[in-house]
Amino acid sequence: MIKISNLDFAYKNSQVFKNISLEFKKGNIYGLLGENGVGKTTLLKLICGLQKPQHGSVTVDGFIPSMREPDFLQNVYFLPEEVITEDTTPEKFVQKIGVFYPRYDFALFNQLMKELEVDLTKKFNELSHGQKKKALLACAMSLQTDYLFLDEPTNGLDIPSKALFRKVISQYCSDETTVIISTHQVKDVENLIDPIVILDRDDVLMNASFAEITDKIYFEYGPERLQNAYYTEMLPGGYINVMPNTEHLESNVNIEALFNAVMKNKETIKNLMK
Amino acid sequence: MNNTFNIQRFGKILKHDGLNFFPNFILSLAILWSIPVVIYLFTALMPTDGTKQIYDAMSRVNVIDALLKIAIIIAPAILYKTCNDSRKGIGYAMLPASTLEKFLSMVIFCVIVTPIVYIAGALAIDSILAIINGPYDGFALSMYFDKFSQIEYSFEQHGTKVMLDDALPIFINNLSPAFMRVLSILGILMLSSIFMFGNMIFKKRKTGKMIGILIILFIIFMIIFINYVANNEALANYFEQINEDNVSEFIIRLIRIMMNVALYTEIIVSTLLLWGTYRKIKTQKY
Repeated sequence: MIKISNLDFAYKNSQVFKNISLEFKKGNIYGLLGENGVGKTTLLKLICGLQKPQHGSVTVDGFIPSMREPDFLQNVYFLPEEVITEDTTPEKFVQKIGVFYPRYDFALFNQLMKELEVDLTKKFNELSHGQKKKALLACAMSLQTDYLFLDEPTNGLDIPSKALFRKVISQYCSDETTVIISTHQVKDVENLIDPIVILDRDDVLMNASFAEITDKIYFEYGPERLQNAYYTEMLPGGYINVMPNTEHLESNVNIEALFNAVMKNKETIKNLMK
Repeated sequence: MNNTFNIQRFGKILKHDGLNFFPNFILSLAILWSIPVVIYLFTALMPTDGTKQIYDAMSRVNVIDALLKIAIIIAPAILYKTCNDSRKGIGYAMLPASTLEKFLSMVIFCVIVTPIVYIAGALAIDSILAIINGPYDGFALSMYFDKFSQIEYSFEQHGTKVMLDDALPIFINNLSPAFMRVLSILGILMLSSIFMFGNMIFKKRKTGKMIGILIILFIIFMIIFINYVANNEALANYFEQINEDNVSEFIIRLIRIMMNVALYTEIIVSTLLLWGTYRKIKTQKY
């Protein structure tokens, strides 16, 4: 489990987190959402040990990430947003780093490369941006770490690749694996993530599963805009209204509408979800 | 598993860094190896007035030595260029090995593997060229590891008559081969540790910035030293006592002091900068 307690973090001139506390439970695929610049990548870096909290603590299964101990590192993998590759083939790359990870599976890598439709024989620099991203995703997943952190994984992927991405994540991540997907393109991770964490500047606005969300928030699709809705958006054929679920009705979460509703009613929804 | 040092994991990081060694460094090594070849070809092909230009083995040893120092200076910035980069260094930081293992692997490749690979290649090329009937006389290989021959050669080239006649035999008789080897190895370690540290603290133009800092430090040191010597009465009195009878003794004493200063400087600087490099690997933020 990842436990963040009373975390303060700032870069030279800008405060990123102020006294935030948060937990990520094992075996879930978390969606880490937030506007640009709220600190999604920074949070992932803090969890990975690439940054150190100025105050408070971050622990991952009892390890302090910033110590960068090998027993911790062999159970986490961070795939950054920016594609940085070596002058080699994905196959050679994964063989080089795979030896460090106890559950690394080369057969799984080959299978994922096939599923993601990436040419095995080409070097990274001969692949397109999207192909590189998919190759790195195959590398990351074949290491079979307990924690997988993906920073904006769908950026630069075409529509079929985004579908393939969702497919391999849901199909090949074991029940023991915790995946945190940081993104601002919420549509790309629809039907994949649960729970959702929504970050704001200095703050965490929401950390809830879909069941917890629909227990308190109702997503109504109808012909008209409702007055008491947190957020309303026009869709083809009508409106989606995000409302308080006072009558405990069942509905399906629309992540984009939820995100917008949270952004428009920060304190109200934060208090509602407590 | 031990989180500080594990021999199996250390083997893995050595293999990881080893796999990067030749792909990253071979071009630079090839350029350094080719410099003596270019000198050879240039000399061999140049029209002469009948007198043949000869490069003796010891002068080539000095060229190889100078190029070795360049190889040591550039090695960290080439082999571990991205390890402190906020984007490109993430892979290195997240590699499941301890700081000590990563540090020791870095030291092995910069301090041991680079000199061995460079010297082996340079001496092999020199031997091949020496076999051909060109301007190369003798084998650099036969002299490279004999530090005393190099010192004698250096004295012959640059020393004064007094030193050659009186001081040199006494000087050489008073130094042990082991001491000279230790001094030489520590010199490599110090040079490498300076540039390994520079590689960790600077993000761009790492080698250039470190050379700049060394030049500035040298100038500051020289200003302080000259001021000290110029204003020290005891030292001035001591210099006044030097005459033709005791100049050899003075030179030997001076060289001994310089040797000891060099030894302690090498030990202190290497230790501090290696510790600094270790700390930077451990605490680097990305």
